[in-house]
Amino acid sequence: MITGADIVNLLSSTLISMVPILLASVGEIITEKSGVVNIGLEGIFIISSFAATVVAYYTGDPLLALFVGTLVGSLSGLLHGVISAYLNGDQIIAGVGFNSFSYGLALMIMVALWQSYGSSPTVKTLPMILIPMAGTTLYIPPLAIAAFIIAILVHYWLNKTRSGLKVRACGEDPRSAESMGINVRRTRLYATILGATLTGLGGAYLTVWWIGQFTKFISAGRGFIALANVAFSNWNPLLAILGALIFGFFSALSIFLPLKLQQIYHVQYTAQIYLFNTIPYIATLVIVAFIMKRVRMPRVLGKPYIKE
Amino acid sequence: MPSKNRLFQKLRARFKARAQDYGMAALEVFLSAAIGFLAGAIALLVLGYDPLKVYEVLFSWGYTDVGYLLLKSTPLILTAIAFSIPALAGVFNIGGESQLYVGALLGLLVAYYIHNAPLAIIVAILGGAGLGLFIALLRVYRGINEVITAIMVNWIMYWLLAYLVTGPFNNPKLPQQSVPVPKSAQIPVFNIGGVNIAGSFILAVIGALVIYYIVFYTETGYIMRVSGLSPATAKYAGFSPEKAILTSMLIGGAAAGFGGALLVLGDVHSIDTTLSAVYGLGFTGIGIGLLGRNNPIGIIFAAIFFSGLLIGGQYVELFLNAPPNLSDFLIGVIVIALSIPYAYRFIISWIKRRRMAK
Repeated sequence: MITGADIVNLLSSTLISMVPILLASVGEIITEKSGVVNIGLEGIFIISSFAATVVAYYTGDPLLALFVGTLVGSLSGLLHGVISAYLNGDQIIAGVGFNSFSYGLALMIMVALWQSYGSSPTVKTLPMILIPMAGTTLYIPPLAIAAFIIAILVHYWLNKTRSGLKVRACGEDPRSAESMGINVRRTRLYATILGATLTGLGGAYLTVWWIGQFTKFISAGRGFIALANVAFSNWNPLLAILGALIFGFFSALSIFLPLKLQQIYHVQYTAQIYLFNTIPYIATLVIVAFIMKRVRMPRVLGKPYIKE
Repeated sequence: MPSKNRLFQKLRARFKARAQDYGMAALEVFLSAAIGFLAGAIALLVLGYDPLKVYEVLFSWGYTDVGYLLLKSTPLILTAIAFSIPALAGVFNIGGESQLYVGALLGLLVAYYIHNAPLAIIVAILGGAGLGLFIALLRVYRGINEVITAIMVNWIMYWLLAYLVTGPFNNPKLPQQSVPVPKSAQIPVFNIGGVNIAGSFILAVIGALVIYYIVFYTETGYIMRVSGLSPATAKYAGFSPEKAILTSMLIGGAAAGFGGALLVLGDVHSIDTTLSAVYGLGFTGIGIGLLGRNNPIGIIFAAIFFSGLLIGGQYVELFLNAPPNLSDFLIGVIVIALSIPYAYRFIISWIKRRRMAK
């Protein structure tokens, strides 16, 4: 019943839906290794995917849109970094506030520009790599390959280089780091901006490389799935690749399964479709709750660094 | 009346001792709201709306119908408490959203099948508490961050509720909504001194006062607060911070479940298939809890304030064609501004130092 074409299609959707989760996870690993937790990933996805849509709509240039969306991610990181590293703000509260802020802002602008409350007009998207296979086509988003490379590079950077060690020192023992001549606040700011930039890239990808349209529920909890993936990976970018593939697979399954079941049993699902939508979230919960081993988070994660 | 006098003196002494804290809290709340409205004005200007006109409509229409204002603030009081009580114990419950869904659904079903409002409320409270406890158990026994669990549970419950109200519990006569709460199980609205005060609002205030008493005047509440401030101190004193987390999430979940039941029995009487009646109440509750300084009494006022913003936002849309999501934006900025109390303290000490230098 499951054909080769099905497997190829599932693989395509897995790769496509994995990209934003992997980029945000790797970004958040950098941020958290420096001691800052940014729970506003969901908000960054929303605001940067929206910014990208606006640019793509008015310029017709999805590549420029991708760039601007990413830049908006960096700016979000600047805001969170200043609040976390310099103003000693409560990082969790700031992140929650940011999620509401960016949702409100994006929807306000959407109504002002297009008088629409649910979704934007469609925009041109960037191309995927197409490989004909098993009677169907395998879709590979080029950004998926880039995301794998970024994850490997970040792993190398954090664990094998001097500057990576500096970032980790700020998240483990900021006082000692400071006495070694590291500017803890500035390092944390940079790490937060870098993390948010990668998340912004993932957000921009959502609209101008994948869906081609901004909708109210565009991020659909992906930011929080990425946060779950950070814990699942034990703050290891290489394991985050595995986690993102698993989460991507379950997202793909939630779309594939109802289609396939309807085809096999010749039925038409209506309300039942909603039940399939729960699959990625249930899978995340189960994986995090039962498969996850004891993790070790950066020692001072989420705590402001207050100088005497 | 010696005892009453002594109580008054005690209260006054307590207030005096904490006057600076209260002043600081009031300042933070005021500054955050001001920053929120300022940022909102800038955003409106950039988008081509007249902020003064928008705010005029927002405030004049948001707060005129007192009865409606109180009715709409009812679930928000309880979702804010659902956030704040765990926050006092050091847990971040952003699952108020789904805990409210469960309360709303269970309240609706019990009311529909058994026609009994008190039973519906009790079942809803138990449902919400159970869901809160589930999140707390994963945190305490598996070390899983409650934020992640809560968001996953929120989405699972969102789709589950969408399925239930469009599928098995759909109203065949009105397919855009669920089965209704029968008249006999609805919570009435009372006319008190010319104002229509919803029975559900009165129940929510009673609930808030009970929780206020538990948190600030019982040993359970004391242990929760100590554990929240310093788990190490709590352990040293022989308390169990883990137990405090479980208790606080149980109370928080119960509050949100209660809010869901009051919403359905006292206001909307059914759940629409787009879930617009329930969606977002839990998330808004977070901002209200923070603005109310995690104090159930402060929360009642903060909920009324936010509820006016939300109502006014609808009128802004109606009259000026301005986006209704201004309220999400304002709430977001206010919450971000509330996250940096240290910055305000820093500004004040800087001003003081400058004054001294003069």
